[in-house]
Amino acid sequence: MELAVEMRNITKTYPENNLRANDGIDFSLRKGEILCLAGENGAGKTTLMKVLYGLESHEKGTIRIRGNQENISSPLVANRLGIGMVHQHFMLVEDFTVAQNVVMGIEPRKYGIAYDLKKAVSLVNEAIAHHHFSIEADMLVRNLTVGQKQQVEIIKMLYRDVDILILDEPTTVLTELEIEALFSSLKQLAKRGKSLILITHKLKEIIAISDRVVVMRQGKMLGTYETKDVNEQQISALMMGKSISLSIKHAKRTDESQPVIECKKITVLRQGQERPLLKDLNFTAYSGEILGFAGVSGNGLGVLEAVLGGFIPVFDGKILHDGNDITNIGTAQLRRQGLAYVPSDRLQIGSSLKASVQENIIVGESRSFRKNGFIDQRQVTKHTNDLLEKYSTKGTAQMPIGTMSGGNIQKVILAREIERYQDYIVFSEPTWGLDIASSQFVYEQMASLRDKGAAVILISSNLDEILTISDRIIVLYRGTRVASFVGDEARNLSKEEIGEYMLGIRKQGASHV
Amino acid sequence: MQFTIPMLHSAITIMTPLLLASMGGLFTELSGMLNIALEGLLLMGAFCSIIFSYYTASMILGTLLGIVCTMILSAILASVTLNLKANVFITGLAVNLFASGMTVVLSFALFANKGVVVFDNIPPLPLLGTPELAKIPILGDIFIGHSAFVYLSWLLLALCYFVLYRTPFGFRIRATGLHPEALSSLGMRPNRYRFASFLISGFTCGLGGALLTLNLGAFVPNITAGKGWIALVVIFLGNKKPIGLLIAAFIFGLADAFSNYAQGALNIPSDFILAIPYIFTLLAMIGSSIYANKKGAIES
Amino acid sequence: MSEKRNPTSKNAFPTLKESIGSLLIVLIALSGVIILSFLLSKTPSKTLRYFFLGPLQNAYYFGNMLNGAIPLIFGGLGISLAMRSGNFNLGGEGQIYSGALATTLFALYLAPLGVVGAILALFIGAFVAGGLAGLSGYLRMKWDTSELITSFLISNAVVLVVNYLIAGPFMDPSTSLIATRKIPESFRLPVLLPPSSLSTALFFALVAVIIVHIYLYKTKSGYQLRMTGLNSRFAKYGGINTRKFIVLPMFLSGFLYGLGGGFAIYGTYFSSIKEFSAGMGWNGLAVALIAKNKPSMVIPAALFFSYIEAGARSAMLHSDVTFEIAAIVQSIVFFLISSEVLFTLFEKKRRYS
Repeated sequence: MELAVEMRNITKTYPENNLRANDGIDFSLRKGEILCLAGENGAGKTTLMKVLYGLESHEKGTIRIRGNQENISSPLVANRLGIGMVHQHFMLVEDFTVAQNVVMGIEPRKYGIAYDLKKAVSLVNEAIAHHHFSIEADMLVRNLTVGQKQQVEIIKMLYRDVDILILDEPTTVLTELEIEALFSSLKQLAKRGKSLILITHKLKEIIAISDRVVVMRQGKMLGTYETKDVNEQQISALMMGKSISLSIKHAKRTDESQPVIECKKITVLRQGQERPLLKDLNFTAYSGEILGFAGVSGNGLGVLEAVLGGFIPVFDGKILHDGNDITNIGTAQLRRQGLAYVPSDRLQIGSSLKASVQENIIVGESRSFRKNGFIDQRQVTKHTNDLLEKYSTKGTAQMPIGTMSGGNIQKVILAREIERYQDYIVFSEPTWGLDIASSQFVYEQMASLRDKGAAVILISSNLDEILTISDRIIVLYRGTRVASFVGDEARNLSKEEIGEYMLGIRKQGASHV
Repeated sequence: MQFTIPMLHSAITIMTPLLLASMGGLFTELSGMLNIALEGLLLMGAFCSIIFSYYTASMILGTLLGIVCTMILSAILASVTLNLKANVFITGLAVNLFASGMTVVLSFALFANKGVVVFDNIPPLPLLGTPELAKIPILGDIFIGHSAFVYLSWLLLALCYFVLYRTPFGFRIRATGLHPEALSSLGMRPNRYRFASFLISGFTCGLGGALLTLNLGAFVPNITAGKGWIALVVIFLGNKKPIGLLIAAFIFGLADAFSNYAQGALNIPSDFILAIPYIFTLLAMIGSSIYANKKGAIES
Repeated sequence: MSEKRNPTSKNAFPTLKESIGSLLIVLIALSGVIILSFLLSKTPSKTLRYFFLGPLQNAYYFGNMLNGAIPLIFGGLGISLAMRSGNFNLGGEGQIYSGALATTLFALYLAPLGVVGAILALFIGAFVAGGLAGLSGYLRMKWDTSELITSFLISNAVVLVVNYLIAGPFMDPSTSLIATRKIPESFRLPVLLPPSSLSTALFFALVAVIIVHIYLYKTKSGYQLRMTGLNSRFAKYGGINTRKFIVLPMFLSGFLYGLGGGFAIYGTYFSSIKEFSAGMGWNGLAVALIAKNKPSMVIPAALFFSYIEAGARSAMLHSDVTFEIAAIVQSIVFFLISSEVLFTLFEKKRRYS
């Protein structure tokens, strides 16, 4: 069969964190097929596609397009070769019309210099009609729904006579109906001979639309499969990988367990998106327990983190801390009332890279470190050095934290938050990007906090992590709670089983929740 | 109100350099760069135009050469800002400082005079219009009998509108300011359009500056006296639209013309009247950010 | 302004690297002086001698050079505080001018109170200027209006209003200057280095540097201000009230400008003369940029700035060039600093070696 794209031995390392995002990847796309590129977050899917589209360079490997070896140095070259990409974040000028966005760069002209606006509208309307989309060329992009904006992005590529189309997580922000419409359009395109690549981690969609599926994990290629030969469970197992064995003792909820954080029917909305980000979420975090939230990205984990951290308000519902209402009081107030929180974005939110380690340690510190009204630098330095030693972190109090390794930065953040915690602590993706030893360290800290009676809330898309250390697990799918497991039930859960809930294949009955 | 008509007539003369400078500034502003160098560019244009007019004994040639010099300065500004990723704000200040120093230093070096340099061989700017046209009641008195620069500025304003809203180049300039990644994801370079905007700023400021000195037949140190800064304000008050620039520049021109009159006849201090457009712009900016904020609050 | 640098490319000795860079900038700027002298002057060696040595040749020139640095120190400190918190204050011109006028007027009014009156008048002037800058901060906090533009607009309007007040209701008819009445003798600061106009205001400027340094690096509020400027998301996450650190630094920034204006009255001018402070606001900004917003570096930056001006002034008096070559040299410094050309040069070399 004729190959549209053939990538051989592609290797790409990000110099910033020395992360090998693509490690000797072999990838091929047949002409006229729909291929899904599946994998967890950070598996390297988007990087591979950015290499193909000329947005990222690669150190090793060759790319052949329709059999010819090519050097794709920019999106312009990619377009010329008939490759188009629809980004996860729309590249649209909101104040322009659909037509103006679509033809940008190859505008129809009259009299040599003038922009033929009428012709642009008619040309784009033709393209829209040809591909059976539901938008009109003279609509203002600002007024379109998310699904319609995505159509504009697709038309933008098709208008350029692209015959290899990459779509990065195209369904994340769409409603069910919009997804159906998108899929039928994509199938139409494939029928006309276009070759399509969908980056996704949604199993249902892989089964529904693809001819073949490629699975990646941690920068490596696991294999290419004919979709008809595999089922959802098998793909899920491949994506999630084998469990690592870490022995962390689990705790049982006892009579002494107290509710610490209670969320009552919280709903978070965002305008321009029909689906709520979180919907009627109920849960209680008890003292002496690690409560794990599992889910695939885009299903509400990040939103839950932002709500608990006080960054975004809830639209509806109540949050209680030790029975006191703490709904929408903002981060500063939450901190004063005992919030300890290790954020998922440790470089942008959890630390200030240009500030020194000790300046990172004392942020929002309730202890004053003050002598005669001034900050007592010696005491701060001593406190910082004590913490660095206690958490076996290499570094000095005065160095900018940005010069530390990722693992050590995370240790500083952990040290700060653990030292200040009162009765609950939130961890979001605490081991993302860390090596095994550092991860183990984080888990031990979490377990010891739990044993001291803390209510530990863990938000993580890493299933191993969830299964290893949670005493109780809640699974989020599309902003709602689809399953929860307590005690032995949580301990004996297999990855495949929980993966099916995370990916929306299964759902617990209302009675279970 | 017999003072109104001459006042409107002089408001039109006063507003023209503002209009020209703000037109160029509009391009940089729309491409996403705050161009505070308008003042320096205007001053450079003012100085170079009259110098070259003096040496070439041709106002047209002098103006053209003045524009070229101003565009060179704006090209330096653009390449330092864009290629070396400098802060446009600081480089803009540098251009203003450079122009204020360079013009006086050169004027001193060439004419051994750092004060007002009067050029005898430069005739007054010819005023256009026929007696018949000037006879049209009111309108004739206001709109006829200006220099070519005034009418040229109106033509350029129309051209400015045409370029921004009716050419691919204009759409790309605006897209650069609104969403540069939209351009780069299609393989175009936003910085190229920013560079072009700076050059356009150089062009219009060169022309606007030429009007300042040629109208006077002399170079006065710091002749621009903040007109470039006002041009920046005109862009904001004009809501970043060509027609808005015309209205906003006219408001400033009128305030200036009125302040001269009010000082004498009405005993209102001219400084108060000159301050009004700034306060007006401030209120307009506050109003628009309140509006944007309300809209944003619903969205987030 | 955001200077996002790659964290991995950080030098362990940023101060060493930065000082080499600054030194190079100074050298290039001074070689600019040499080139300009050879181009413009018929007696370049004489011009250069007066340019470089003039400011140091006698007490008069030296004192005036130091005196010229005083308002630049206050302005530079003010801008540094605003920039450290991630805010821009473009209204220095109006703030320094209005602060000076308010101080003058209250000094005249409070003359009977003696020293207390002098201090009171100084602080009233600073509060007026601080309030103007704080208003821009408030607008940004409340509605996200660009503080850069509003501070500039407010300043422009204020300059005109102050012009009116000086030339109108408060003008002293007894002099030929457009100026207010002179403040009482008892309010004037002693002259340090006669016959120059250097006054003890210099000491107050140095004290201000120390206070701002202590505030930024030794107090909780200063710490929170710096954290907000470095990474406001982190500051917010850490429980810092980031909204407060939009208004407060802008206020303090204007406050310092106002003090600069007040001390200029007490030490040098003794009355608000029309447009006496024109350019001081912008130069304060320039000083802060050269000092990279470090309070301790504001002193050498201000001295460098006023040295160039004093040198140009001396060269003008004794040779055949004009004072404005100072502005050209200053603009070269600006270009070099803004582009950080020299800094990046070092970084690249290091990375590839």
